[in-house]
Amino acid sequence: MWQTFLVNLKLHLREKTQLFWLFAFPIILATMFNGMFGNIAESFELHTLDVVVVEDTAWKASYGAQTLIDGLSSDSSASDTGGFAKVDSDGGSKLVNATKVDSTAQAKRLLADGTVQGMLQVVDGRLKLSVSQSTQSSASDVMASSSGLNISLTVLGNIVDLYNRNTDVVTEIAKNNPTALMDSAVTGSIGSTNGYTKEIQLTNFKPSGTARYYYALLGMAALMAMSFAINAVTMTQANLSALGIRRSVSPLPKLRQLLAGFLSSWLCSFLSLTVAMLYIRFGCRISLGGREWAAVGACLVASFAASAFGTLLGALPKIPTGAKHGLCTALACILSLFSGLYGQFAMQLSDQIAQQAPVLSLINPAQQITNLFYDILYYDNFKPFFTTAGILAAMSLVCLAVATVLLRRQRYEYL
Amino acid sequence: MDGHTNGTASAVAVSKLVKRYGDMVALDYFDLDVRQGEIFGLLGPNGSGKTTAINCMLALLTFDEGTVRVFGERITPTSYALKRRIGIVPQNVAVFNELTVEENIDYFCSLYVPDKEKRHALVKEALDFVGLADYRKYRPAKLSGGLLRRLNIACGIAHRPDLIFFDEPTVAVDPQSRNAILEGIQRLNRKGATVIYTSHYMEEVEQICDRILIMDHGRHLALGTADELKAMIDTGERISIETDDLGGHADAADATLERLRALPFVIGADYDGHELTVNCRRGDHNLIDVLQLLERDGTNIGHLSSRQPTLNDVFLELTGTALRD
Repeated sequence: MWQTFLVNLKLHLREKTQLFWLFAFPIILATMFNGMFGNIAESFELHTLDVVVVEDTAWKASYGAQTLIDGLSSDSSASDTGGFAKVDSDGGSKLVNATKVDSTAQAKRLLADGTVQGMLQVVDGRLKLSVSQSTQSSASDVMASSSGLNISLTVLGNIVDLYNRNTDVVTEIAKNNPTALMDSAVTGSIGSTNGYTKEIQLTNFKPSGTARYYYALLGMAALMAMSFAINAVTMTQANLSALGIRRSVSPLPKLRQLLAGFLSSWLCSFLSLTVAMLYIRFGCRISLGGREWAAVGACLVASFAASAFGTLLGALPKIPTGAKHGLCTALACILSLFSGLYGQFAMQLSDQIAQQAPVLSLINPAQQITNLFYDILYYDNFKPFFTTAGILAAMSLVCLAVATVLLRRQRYEYL
Repeated sequence: MDGHTNGTASAVAVSKLVKRYGDMVALDYFDLDVRQGEIFGLLGPNGSGKTTAINCMLALLTFDEGTVRVFGERITPTSYALKRRIGIVPQNVAVFNELTVEENIDYFCSLYVPDKEKRHALVKEALDFVGLADYRKYRPAKLSGGLLRRLNIACGIAHRPDLIFFDEPTVAVDPQSRNAILEGIQRLNRKGATVIYTSHYMEEVEQICDRILIMDHGRHLALGTADELKAMIDTGERISIETDDLGGHADAADATLERLRALPFVIGADYDGHELTVNCRRGDHNLIDVLQLLERDGTNIGHLSSRQPTLNDVFLELTGTALRD
C-alpha cells in the first residue's frame, strides 16, 4: 500500500496539466486579484502634496498659518489627519511638502509650470488653497485618482476649512467675549472634532473588503483539486480503465488501493491549497489575523473535503474520465460564483443566498471552504471555524459513504 | 518461473460457464480446461466471447452459471493467494505515462511482491527478459509501439506468475518485435509458466500453442493441437495453377472447370483467366488426378503450387466467413 501511495503521489506531481491548474492557476489568479484590489487600496492612501506657500506680509501676520504648515510638513502629520491610511512611502508620512516664496506671482509661476500641485496663501486673514488646472484634472481623472491624489487634496482642503472656521470662532470670541479665552474649557473645545460616536473594533481583525475574494479563490482552488481524487479512483477501477483492470487482478486488496489513492490525493490537494494560501498571505499580504496555523488547519480540512468530493465524482459509473474532469472544473467554477469569487455582484449574490436560502449556502462546498478562512479572520473565537469544519467533515463523510457503496463492487456486470 | 509443470494437472478449469448481457448470451455453457505447463491458444472472431471468458477467469466479471477454478480452487475477487500466481498482459497497453519504464515495472511488481530487495532483482530480470534494460529511464511516451508492448508484457510477468494471460499482445507491432514477443512467451513457458494466449494471428497461435480452442458465439467449437484441428475439417490441400488457356482454348475453360468440379475429392474450383484454384477434400494423390485431367484437356500449365490446410482455413470453416463487428 505504501508503494501505491508513493506511486500515486508521483503520478499526481508529474502530471503537468494538473500541476498548472492546481498549483500555478490559483497563484496567477491571486496575482491578478492583487493587481486589481491593490489599486483600490492605494486610492484610499494619502500622498504628500507639493505646495507653494506665499510668505508675504499677510502670511507673516497669521501665526496660526505658519504653525499649521509646520505641522502638516512634519513627518507625523498624516497620523493626525482623521484616521486615513498613512502617507505612502514616497512622501514619508507628511501631508505637504512646502516650498516658500515671497510673492503670489512667484507662486503662480511654480503652480503653472507644474513644480507644485497647490498654493497656500493668506488673503484677508483667511488661509486659501488653490490648485493648478492640471492637478484638478488629475484628481478628477478615474485612473489618476487611483494614486490617492483626490483624497489628499480633499484632506488638505478640509484642514484649511477647519483652520478658517476656528480662526473665525476665535476672532468672534475675542471680539464679543474676550474673557472666555481665559477659560481652558472654551479654548480646548475650539477646533475639537469630537463626535457622539466612537469607533470600536468588534472583530478579531480589522475587516478587509478584498480578503473575501481571496478566500473564495481558495474555495475554488480546493474544488479544482478534486481532480487528484478523480484520477486516483479511475486508475483503480477495472470498469473505468485498463490500468484499473491490471490493478484489480493484483493481490493488493481494493480497499488498500483506494485508501492509498485517497491519502495521496489528500496530501497533494493539501499542498496545492497551502501553497495558494501562503502566496495569498505573504505574496498578496492578505491578512489571516495572525492565525496562520489555523489557516493551515483550514487547508487540511478543505483538502480532505475536496478529496472526498473527488472520490465520489471518480466513483460515478458510466461516465468517462475526461467527462468527470470536465464536471470537476464546471462544479468548481459554478459553485465559486455562489461563493462570491467573480466580483461584487457575485459577493452580493453569495450574501443574499446566505440570508434568503441558508440551506443552499450550507451545501455549497465552495462557500463552506470560503467561510472556513473567513471564520479565522473575523471571529474572536474558533467556534464558527469549528462549526464550518464540522459541516465540511459531515459533507465529506456522506460523499465517502456514497462512494464506498459505488466502489464496493469487485466484480462487474460489464467491463 | 517456478510453476508446476506436470502437464496433466489443471491450471484453469471452466465448466458450463454462462454469461448473459441482458438478452444476449456472451458465454453459452462454455467449457475450458488448460493444463499446467502448456501454452493454450484461445481463438475466436470478434465478439465470440474470448475476452468475456478471460475476465470471468480473472474474477473481474460476474457470471450467471458455471464454475471457474484456477489451480484447483474457485477464484473470487478476494482470492489473493491465487491472484499472486497470476499475471495478465492486457490487449490495451496499461502503463503509467508519468512513470519511467523501470518505475512502471517496479510498481506493478510491488502489487505482488512487497519486499523491495526481492523486487529489485525481479524488475532487473524482467527488464532483461523483454530487452528494455537500455530504456529503463525512458517514459512510455518515448517508446515505439513494439517497445511499449514489451513494457506491457514486463509489467505483467515481473512477479514470475505461474499462469499468464496474454490478450492479443502482438497487435500493431512490427515483425521483429512480434518475433521477440513470441520467443519470450515460449521462454516463459519453458521456465514453467502456463500461458493462455489469444490472438487473431493464426500463424502465431499455430507457432507457439500446444493446444488451441476455437470458440464462437460464446461456445466451444473445437479443441486440439493445430494438426488435430486441421484433421477435423473437410478441406484438404489447395492447388493453385497459373494458366492462360484452361482447357486448351477460351471456349473450353467452363467445360474443364465442370469436369474438375465433378471429381469426387474436389470441393470447389475457380478460374479467373490466369489462375486456377482447386480446393480438395482430405486424401492422397489429389494433385496427380487434377494434373492428369488438365493434361487431357490440353491445358498449358505454368507455375503450380499446392499447400496443406492452415489454421486459418480451419478457423474460417468453423466460424464462417461472414464479417463480424
